[in-house]
Amino acid sequence: MALFGSSTAAASASSPATTPSQQLKKEIENQISQELAVANATELVSKITENCFEKCISQPANVLRPQEDQCVSQCLEKYMRSWNVISKAYITRIQQSSNDK
Amino acid sequence: MSSISASALQNLDESSRKDIMQFIEAEQSKSKVQMSIHNFTDMCFKKCNANKPITNGSLDSSEEACLTNCLNRFLDTNIKVVQALQGQQH
Repeated sequence: MALFGSSTAAASASSPATTPSQQLKKEIENQISQELAVANATELVSKITENCFEKCISQPANVLRPQEDQCVSQCLEKYMRSWNVISKAYITRIQQSSNDK
Repeated sequence: MSSISASALQNLDESSRKDIMQFIEAEQSKSKVQMSIHNFTDMCFKKCNANKPITNGSLDSSEEACLTNCLNRFLDTNIKVVQALQGQQH
């Protein structure tokens, strides 16, 4: 699963809308996808900020120290990699349990 | 943010309405899965990085194993709890 709005591209790749109703439908669907992608990104930003602030800034100083700055960048990268690992493992698990039924 | 007028919505034909409902359902379940992944990542990132500083941005194989195990054991725990509570009902 892609992190940001994977379905938007798929939706616009299908055959062109002809009637006004179909056009409006596409617009609505695109807007829904976009809003969900924004919500997903917002959630990610908030979780990363919480975790990396906790991890990297133990004693807030009057500036962001260079080592804190570096820690935040590394933490951000590690968190996103972790997101992908969890995402893959969770989807595998969902697929396994639906095969068992 | 919205550029779609309310009056235009009333002119949607039946099949488009149906399609949109289906689309929303699919997006909702996708969103649910994504929110679960956010919660699991939050939980397992904390667990797997407890008591150790962040020294690089990559994930080594032991970190990756920790995350996968964390997720799978959490889900096992969830299943156990549900089964135990179901067992008590009878």
